[in-house]
Amino acid sequence: MSETSNAAEIRHVPFRGGGFAPSPRRWVGFAVFVVLIALAEIGTQTGFITPLTLPKPSDVLKTFGELYSSGLLWKHLSVSLSRLVVGAALGASAGIAVGVMIGLFSYVRAGLLPLVAALFPIPKIALLPLFVIWFGIDEGSKYALIAFGTFTPTVVATYGAVDNVDRNLIRMGQSFNLSWMSIVRKIVLPGAMPGILSGLRISLAIAIILLVAAEMLGAEYGIGAYILEAGSLYDLERLFVGVAILSILGVTLSACIGMIERRLLRWRV
Amino acid sequence: MDIRLSAVSHHYDQTEVLRDISLEIPSGKIVCIVGPSGCGKSTLLRLIGGLEQPSAGEILQIGSPPADCLNPLTYIFQDFALLPWRTVRGNISLVLEDHGIHGQAAGDIINDVLARTKLSDFADALPKQLSGGMKQRVAIARALAVNPAVMLMDEPLSALDSQTRELLMDDLVNLWSRTPFTAVYVTHNLAEAVRLGHSIMVMSRRPGEIREIVHLDTPLHQRGLGDAEMEEKQKYLWHLMREEARAADAELVHV
Amino acid sequence: MISLNRRKALALLGGTVAAAGLSTPALSQGRKITVGALRFTSHSASFIALQRGYFKEAGLDVELKFFQAATPMAVAIASGDVDYAVTAMSGGLVSLADKGAIKIIGGALSEEADIDGQKYLVSDAAFQAGVTSPAMLDGKSYGITSAGSSFHYMGSKLAQKEGISMSFKPLQKVGAIIGALKSGQIDAWSIVPHIAKPLAGSGKVHIIGNVSDVIPDYQVTTVFTSAKNAADERGMTGDFLAGFSKGVADYNATMIDRAHGDDGVNEMVDLIHKYVYADRPREKAAKSIINGTMRLNDGAALNTASLQDQLSWFQSEDLVGADITLDTVVDSSYVKTLG
Repeated sequence: MSETSNAAEIRHVPFRGGGFAPSPRRWVGFAVFVVLIALAEIGTQTGFITPLTLPKPSDVLKTFGELYSSGLLWKHLSVSLSRLVVGAALGASAGIAVGVMIGLFSYVRAGLLPLVAALFPIPKIALLPLFVIWFGIDEGSKYALIAFGTFTPTVVATYGAVDNVDRNLIRMGQSFNLSWMSIVRKIVLPGAMPGILSGLRISLAIAIILLVAAEMLGAEYGIGAYILEAGSLYDLERLFVGVAILSILGVTLSACIGMIERRLLRWRV
Repeated sequence: MDIRLSAVSHHYDQTEVLRDISLEIPSGKIVCIVGPSGCGKSTLLRLIGGLEQPSAGEILQIGSPPADCLNPLTYIFQDFALLPWRTVRGNISLVLEDHGIHGQAAGDIINDVLARTKLSDFADALPKQLSGGMKQRVAIARALAVNPAVMLMDEPLSALDSQTRELLMDDLVNLWSRTPFTAVYVTHNLAEAVRLGHSIMVMSRRPGEIREIVHLDTPLHQRGLGDAEMEEKQKYLWHLMREEARAADAELVHV
Repeated sequence: MISLNRRKALALLGGTVAAAGLSTPALSQGRKITVGALRFTSHSASFIALQRGYFKEAGLDVELKFFQAATPMAVAIASGDVDYAVTAMSGGLVSLADKGAIKIIGGALSEEADIDGQKYLVSDAAFQAGVTSPAMLDGKSYGITSAGSSFHYMGSKLAQKEGISMSFKPLQKVGAIIGALKSGQIDAWSIVPHIAKPLAGSGKVHIIGNVSDVIPDYQVTTVFTSAKNAADERGMTGDFLAGFSKGVADYNATMIDRAHGDDGVNEMVDLIHKYVYADRPREKAAKSIINGTMRLNDGAALNTASLQDQLSWFQSEDLVGADITLDTVVDSSYVKTLG
């Protein structure tokens, strides 16, 4: 009896293993942008969304066009980029250096870790007036703010990355009588590179946020100054143009780090 | 160059790991160390290579290493310890760079050791592209490159599957037969010990003491798979270790 | 047609009420409204009207809401969180009016030739270097809160009058400008007298001119409300202006004309001290409050000529749209207009 009933019920084993495996769908992200902007355009055109709530996307685009053709776009962008590059380069390189030292030396770790923990939660914007007095109202204070803002997250990411370097590899280096400098240069730094680079992603996003803050004081040009001016004039079109430029800047920087990662971390499994 | 351990003891904090170990490691011979897990085999190896200092007793080098020896005490690790960001060639050149060997001289050494480990075709591969057995051969090639007086091998085949293990044991036997080297070979696998060891030191569970030192006189290249004498020795070793292994297994881990 | 007539009638009523001081029961009995204020002496009319019950007499239950800066206050009016407030006609305010969010309905403070008004200041460093009059500021830096702020206007008008050029440094906050001026990071600034005088007293800053010499009859601050209140709540808006105007009248009579002698001044200082410089001891605060006395616009009268000049300046600087007219920004039906 059981034989016949088994024979009668031949079927495929049900498949239960689907999902939970994200695969790339490039166009979806783009489509979300397009749909959101289209909705905003329709809403503002029909008057469903008041001009006080949201500007027309088409007006924002027009304002961007005007900014571009007036030549001011490059003027704003070039000063902002130079602030970003100088500030972030100072902050990140100092952060990596200090992070590696904390990772390597017990005394430095004991001495600096509490300091870094104390500096990390300070809203750097609050220190801007102080930086103005220390470094001057011109570029100095802006570099300092961005540098300081990128410094602490870079330190934390770097010493974490150094801590995570496979101790067996260092052991191996010692067992082959490699010099201290060789071990740091050839084993510790390359081993910490993935962690340092992912820390840089966060640091650079913070640098962009702080760019706007840095340009609060005494900046006539710059994307941040442009946004602040638009905000104080309640000019939503310009505000959105500025915000869009910052977003594009963020996406570009992130793509750059992605490229560096692909080049430097080809060895990763 | 010989190595002599006299009355070596070691403890971490309150835990005694090694007690009164005295051992001769004669030049040109392979000494295997076997014992149940946690008996302090790997610690003993780190003490011999100077990566740790014993709490009591001394470890002595007798005689000086050959002149062309770059790194007298050279390890081969269970997890290979290859730098994943360097190619096979780069991993070997790593240990030569600090001795000021670059360019042509380094290239000659690297080509030689790659040929000896049958890796010549894979010089520019990254570790992630290699199988476990090939990775360990790279590690062996790297160790050969510094021309060691004593090789300290820490369970070098434990991370490999059994077929690969057989192949690599053959490779090691061939290497030794061509140019005999001195080695301390730590393993928990008795088949490896009877295959490669000129003498086998059996350790007790923690604190590790010497249970017995077994000598094997059959030349390495005559020891084959399924050889009756080898079987006999292996059975004997297992008999020595069985109770220790059972007791060690039942212990709570508190390291 | 009919609605226009009714509006005009109501406007008339509101205007009459404002001018005469309210004696009849108010139109909007006991309505709860929110009035925005900054902790400045120039906002005293609201404090007096509240403390002395003039708003209550006008039938309004007023709650004061304090802000740190003018811009968030303007945004709060636009969003409907605040009903009435006093601030300068900044570019942001014009922009919000252009979006149909707010209207200026009255005047609060203007510069007058014979009354101590806002001052032009220079840093000690610049002063020592020979900048002793506004004409010598050519090529110097000038502190402003943001583009299109009243500071920007005052600086720009100065440059225009003297035929010089200056670079304007946006520093967002008055406190930041003061710090930058004291430490010589910027060269010049303009500010109300009760801040200018103590700064000059410290020796780190010097007064080199009066704003009223450069911009005569400058309408410094205005009373404004949401466009909705201005158009649809004429009764309530009239009531507010009536109560506010009584506060203005009391302030001017006591502090400027000294109608009630020193006792009157002291009493009013006590009242204002509850809101302004509340963190300082009374003695110190009193000095600053008395220093800061400027005549407020009687009956919230509005100088539209000055506002037109300001609007034209914003447009010439490309800060606001060129097609905006003063009618978009100002509802002049509530109060007497000057100029």
